[in-house]
Amino acid sequence: MTTKQTVKVTVNGIAYERQVEPRLTLVDFLRHELHLGGTHVGCEHGVCGTCNILVDGKAVRSCLMLAVQVDGESLTTVEGLRNRDTGDLHPIQQAFVDEHGLQCGFCTPGFLMTTLELLRDNPNPSEADIKDALGGNLCRCTGYEAIMKSVRLAAKRVQEGQDIGLTHTD
Amino acid sequence: MSIEIPGLPEDMPGAELKYVGKDVKRIEDPGLVAGTVEFIDNLDLPNMAHCAMLRSPHPHARITGYDTSAAEALPGVVAVITGEDVKRWANPVTTAPEGWGSYCLAVDKVRFVGEPVVAVAAESRYIAEDALELVNVEYELLPVAATAEEAIKEGAPRLFEENESNVILSKTYDWGDVDQVFADADHVVSETFFWNRVGANPMETFGCVSTWDTVNNSLTIHGSFQTPGFMALGRAFSLNLPTNKVKVVSHPHGGSFGGKGGPRGSEISSLLSRKAGGRAVKYIEDRVEYLLAGAGQSWDRYYDASLALKADGTVTGFKVKLLDDQGAGAEGYGTISIAKPIAAFTGCYRIEAARYDLNVVATNRAPTYPYRGYGPPPHNYVLESLMDIAAQKLGLDVAEIRRRNYIPPEAFPYTIPSGNEYDSGQYEVTLDAALELADYEALREEQARAREEGRLLGIGVCSVVEPGVFDWNAYTTVGIQGVGVPEGAKVSVDIMGQITVTVGFSLEGQGQYTLAAQLVADFFGVDMAGVRVAYAATDVAPPHFGPGGSRLGVSITGAVLGACRKIEEKFKLVTARLMQCEPAALELADGFVRIKGVPGAEMHIAQVAGTMLARSDLLPPGMEQSPEATYVWTAPGRTEPDEQGRCKSYLTAANACHVVMVEIDPGTGRTDILKYCVADDCGTRLNPATVEGQLMGGIAQGIGAALFEEYVYTDDGQPKVSTFAEYLVPTIHEVPKTDKAVIVTPSPFTPLGAKGCGEGAIHTTPAVIMCAINDALLPLGVQARATPASPNRVWDLLQQAK
Repeated sequence: MTTKQTVKVTVNGIAYERQVEPRLTLVDFLRHELHLGGTHVGCEHGVCGTCNILVDGKAVRSCLMLAVQVDGESLTTVEGLRNRDTGDLHPIQQAFVDEHGLQCGFCTPGFLMTTLELLRDNPNPSEADIKDALGGNLCRCTGYEAIMKSVRLAAKRVQEGQDIGLTHTD
Repeated sequence: MSIEIPGLPEDMPGAELKYVGKDVKRIEDPGLVAGTVEFIDNLDLPNMAHCAMLRSPHPHARITGYDTSAAEALPGVVAVITGEDVKRWANPVTTAPEGWGSYCLAVDKVRFVGEPVVAVAAESRYIAEDALELVNVEYELLPVAATAEEAIKEGAPRLFEENESNVILSKTYDWGDVDQVFADADHVVSETFFWNRVGANPMETFGCVSTWDTVNNSLTIHGSFQTPGFMALGRAFSLNLPTNKVKVVSHPHGGSFGGKGGPRGSEISSLLSRKAGGRAVKYIEDRVEYLLAGAGQSWDRYYDASLALKADGTVTGFKVKLLDDQGAGAEGYGTISIAKPIAAFTGCYRIEAARYDLNVVATNRAPTYPYRGYGPPPHNYVLESLMDIAAQKLGLDVAEIRRRNYIPPEAFPYTIPSGNEYDSGQYEVTLDAALELADYEALREEQARAREEGRLLGIGVCSVVEPGVFDWNAYTTVGIQGVGVPEGAKVSVDIMGQITVTVGFSLEGQGQYTLAAQLVADFFGVDMAGVRVAYAATDVAPPHFGPGGSRLGVSITGAVLGACRKIEEKFKLVTARLMQCEPAALELADGFVRIKGVPGAEMHIAQVAGTMLARSDLLPPGMEQSPEATYVWTAPGRTEPDEQGRCKSYLTAANACHVVMVEIDPGTGRTDILKYCVADDCGTRLNPATVEGQLMGGIAQGIGAALFEEYVYTDDGQPKVSTFAEYLVPTIHEVPKTDKAVIVTPSPFTPLGAKGCGEGAIHTTPAVIMCAINDALLPLGVQARATPASPNRVWDLLQQAK
């Protein structure tokens, strides 16, 4: 056990301050300190992408970072996707529902966050672009075909003007 | 009371189905995409401690001493248990066959790397893992039985010293006059095959939270359990509790594919809770633990198999000699997976006689557990590979030899030599649909051109029966007694007419809650969005099994429709009294009970249910105030097995034909899938979108098994796989787009004509990819007979060919 350190962080627009051990992983911090349980843990060694979140707008493995590394940063997790006023699903979430892009749903938050980064930077991705972006996310249920369709539908809706509500600095 | 359950969608009440048979969006999904579903690690109970386990670094060793004092003294540690506690408080798990079970923590000796030896509960997982570093265990190393071939030898080190050898089961089944058909054959083809162990690897590992009530001596386990009732029963036996004092609460879980909820984690966290005086103890298995020793490794098999052939390509006999490596005992019911192939032993074909010669052996590898398919994927790989070998022998096309041997549509229901009855099928229609989808002749032309250029292109065509709706009687060979697998549902209509379905299983990914809502909505003619599906823990749930054996879609349909029928009868009695007519004059449609042919003479179901709950004076005399019903469905007509294991077991026989083209890179041995076509017939599709999801997921897992996934062990029994960097689950890059054709041959025996489809494609995909690879290798004179055909294995073959 070591001396605790202060972490100040903004997650989905809400500011948090906690005292944590330096060894606490970011995903454990989110899940068990901030009780944001939507980010799931699949492997804890950076392969499966289940725990992907956005740190300063970039998709990262939250199992491979320590909580103390995000001091001062702005984070987005799956809990930040829905419209906070209406509760409506985010266009990417809705596209996954519409195209059956999930089965057990455990890996889905990671796919959603990776897709958010993809479509923010490239609203009209080719099939190769989608595979490139999602190649680091494992899904054991769907065989990926329905995920591919979901991302395409989400991209179409973004192109049609639906706001995915995230700038690089969010 | 005999309840008539609709045999086809058109037998449902009401004129038009709005949901059943349609691509319905899943009611499970909004919560899952929002991240609000309570997976087990999202559950925090008050004052909960956290478990970590020290695991064996040795494949086989005697434990000669423990020192846990430093761990116990670490601040934050709540309880420590070892094999000594377990010996006092628990029993080895029951197994089939009996006598091959271990305690949850190693007692006296360890039998595989990763076996739990000491467990700690502490204020946090971090502290619990710190404490493990302070534990000292002394071992005396024992000789290792690293493979089935070693374990079966005379004088091999015995894993279970109380047993005479490592042979768990040795048995031969003869179905028909096998020796005669082989003696009469014009040709016999034989080959050996090796299937390396693969595993389920759901994205969520196992987890649970146990609370042992030390006052009332009862236990509650929340966890990611696939089969909650079965788990509760097993824990009662292994933890010495009355069966009604163990309550299991299954949480939504992140996939399972067979193995979710092996006994050890639940028992260890429960005993820690007991030792900690009743504090809740959470155990979340991590991925390294899952890969080393989790419940989900399956099928480690050597096959020696033969087909007897007539000159015209008729297959008359099939012999299979199987040496099956179960790993360190039978704790996970991995043994059952050698029995399931009996339900569809001879596949799609009219083979008159068959032999199954089994040797099931314990080794110092991790114990095996169920995994999607539960045995037939390797079996089908053997049968379908032999069909290709037979075609080569006779100079027949691989599609043609299958066509000549199919069970014809008019022969159904058809009893296969190993005893099971197939319900229905049109195998040639399925084959033709797949061949047409693939443009098979054009593929062969492309292959011929490619071969001239020296490219290694191969085509596979495989036809497979996928047994669905399992029954316990299928597993008699390993000693399981029982016929029938009950699955119950309660449907209740409240005073405002709102409908709730209560079931005994939780979310796992197949969309069965959506199916229950579809059925109820169409049965009563109400809006599906208004139907709630609720989970009941084992203490209050109706008899249930949950997902498994491609059974739940069919069985929950039977249960829900049976309960709906019972309510319909009650509603008609009430309405008949209120409207002064005969119950037989009434019909249920569009949310109303109405007099047939009399417009406007109707009562909404809310009025009927409200009357039942609020006006006992208006009810038929003696009627219960109960607008609800429970129905427990089981497959009809299942039979007791004979001495050769023959019985009506799996109720449905789905059928698929996959046609695949692959190309092997001669420089690296890597296989690319160029074309993947599927024609699939699983009877009535109740929610086609979720059926397709099952199919696609099975294909992806089949591709993994055929090309990438493998639990590798060293010659001395050390596992070489402990992360996803070594166990290669297919990514979006490896799973191709597929072309699909849908054939619908309803089952005459099931609710709405649906067939089991949950395991579907993994029955077929490994076989067809291996067949395609071997077709590609054919000009080189080498063949791949071990799975997975990973680049290194294929590259070795390419070197041999030079």
